[in-house]
Amino acid sequence: MSQLLAVMFDGVAFGMLLFLISVGLSVTLGMMNFTNLAHGAFAMVGGYVTFALASLAGWPFLATLPVAFLATMAIAAVFERLLFRYIYETGELNQVLFTIGFVFTASATAAYVFGTVHQSVDMPAVLTGFIELGEIKLPSYRLFLVAIALVITVGVVYGLEHTRFGAMVRASVDNQKVARGLGLNVNRIFALTFALGSGLAGLGGALAIEVLGLDPSFGFHILVLVLIVVALGGLGSVWGSFVAALCLGVFDVGGKYFVPELGSFLIYLFMVALLFFRPQGLFGKR
Amino acid sequence: MAEPLLSLRGVSAGYAESVVLNDINLDISEGSGLAVLGRNGVGKSTLIETVMGFTRLVSGSIHWRGRDITRLKPHQRAAQGIGWIPQERCVFPTLTVEENLNVVARPGSLTAARVYEIFPRLAERRQNRGSQLSGGEQQMLAIGRTLMTNPSLLLLDEPLEGLAPIVIEELGQSIAHMSGDEGMTLVLVEQHAELALEMTREAVIIERGRIVHRAPAAELRADHDTLDRYIGLNLGE
Ligand SMILES: Nc1ncnc2c1ncn2[C@@H]1O[C@H](COP(=O)(O)OP(=O)(O)OP(=O)(O)O)[C@@H](O)[C@H]1O
Ligand SMILES: [Mg+2]
Repeated sequence: MSQLLAVMFDGVAFGMLLFLISVGLSVTLGMMNFTNLAHGAFAMVGGYVTFALASLAGWPFLATLPVAFLATMAIAAVFERLLFRYIYETGELNQVLFTIGFVFTASATAAYVFGTVHQSVDMPAVLTGFIELGEIKLPSYRLFLVAIALVITVGVVYGLEHTRFGAMVRASVDNQKVARGLGLNVNRIFALTFALGSGLAGLGGALAIEVLGLDPSFGFHILVLVLIVVALGGLGSVWGSFVAALCLGVFDVGGKYFVPELGSFLIYLFMVALLFFRPQGLFGKR
Repeated sequence: MAEPLLSLRGVSAGYAESVVLNDINLDISEGSGLAVLGRNGVGKSTLIETVMGFTRLVSGSIHWRGRDITRLKPHQRAAQGIGWIPQERCVFPTLTVEENLNVVARPGSLTAARVYEIFPRLAERRQNRGSQLSGGEQQMLAIGRTLMTNPSLLLLDEPLEGLAPIVIEELGQSIAHMSGDEGMTLVLVEQHAELALEMTREAVIIERGRIVHRAPAAELRADHDTLDRYIGLNLGE
């Protein structure tokens, strides 16, 4: 019983991590229909920012996290202005090709600068042990993940639901043309959302080092999971992404633990089954 | 003569493959009000969307208060004071009534409080989402939302389409009120020719993307031959 709970918790923590990495893509995809496969690459950028600061410059791990967020955000903003904004109206095929190319480039750059080896960072002592709750032993890092993800989820939901900027984002997702026609500068709103979402992915990437490790192919590996979360959750739906990421985390971790012979295949089964009944995703509108 | 609020010079415009509007010339002066009449599919919405900058402009120019806005983006035109009310209403379905109003608000005398005065029904529904409103309420919200941008020109694209007669009457009064008391200039696309001609001073009839008839609204109202020829059905409604 306590083992089941511990595995479940592990799954929840993994799900939270996936949510952090995916939520930005869900919102920007819903807003602009911009098929951005480069999203995972920004998670990798955050990972390497933390790695560089913690392992190379000797910063404490926790201090690198805000920098991973801000630096990824700034880098994403620059590339949005420099590259991505020119392909919003060029059709899905171009976007797919271009953004996949971007992941290859990012991956090669990372390999050139940091090498192709699997990197890790040193964790502070508080995050390496276990916390015992009665019979259950929960790894402190997983607890930390859940806590941070919850705080950010509340922040994202509050920002989207209760601020004027959030209303602008939702209006642009609801009907981009009408939002423009009523004076909203959708491109600027999108650029900001894109940067914020990429920043969250970067933070997620930094937090993922301890769970998934970090190497130059991170942007590809995480992409599969991110796309599943977005497809299951429904475009533009924060809650959808949240629920989908949780389900995916629990299914993946639980599946690998309890039915190892199926391994990671279980999540694809889960996805196919869900999309069969709800092709627009859990909370999707289209 | 004072400078027109909006003027179109030799405008031809359309969509990716097709040119819908041909050589449109129009002057709309402040406070005058223009009815745009014509059968289904002749290009009335295309005209409105061309003023907003959504279509592909093939030739011609558009001036706003004497300034060339031909190259401005839709959101920049809206910011200049051109208020668009889309044909399908398109209230933001996931936003509440209150959010629908506030999200596009620009400074000016028209505030949410003022919109609730004009449409008391919206005040009762302020916490409901756009998708939960009836057709009439959605139209009120679509109008109220555009008013929040404090426009000096209102482009109304068939605001009464598909509404019950009693709602039409109520909305018709609100629209008349806006052009009268609020001093807003209307461009009114309507199938209900009679009503539209009552609320405006000038009128044009469009046929296959061209302006085929211009007249003062009052004159056209009495000109049953012309109305019959170009519009037919809706006379005397
Ligand atoms: N987005 C679009 N892309 C391509 N063609 C379009 C588009 N919208 C309209 N058209 C075409 O342009 C022409 C004019 O359409 P428009 O919507 O302007 O007519 P309308 O006068 O507003 O008609 P209605 O009274 O039905 O609203 C039609 O032939 C229509 O098929
Ligand atoms: Mg129309």
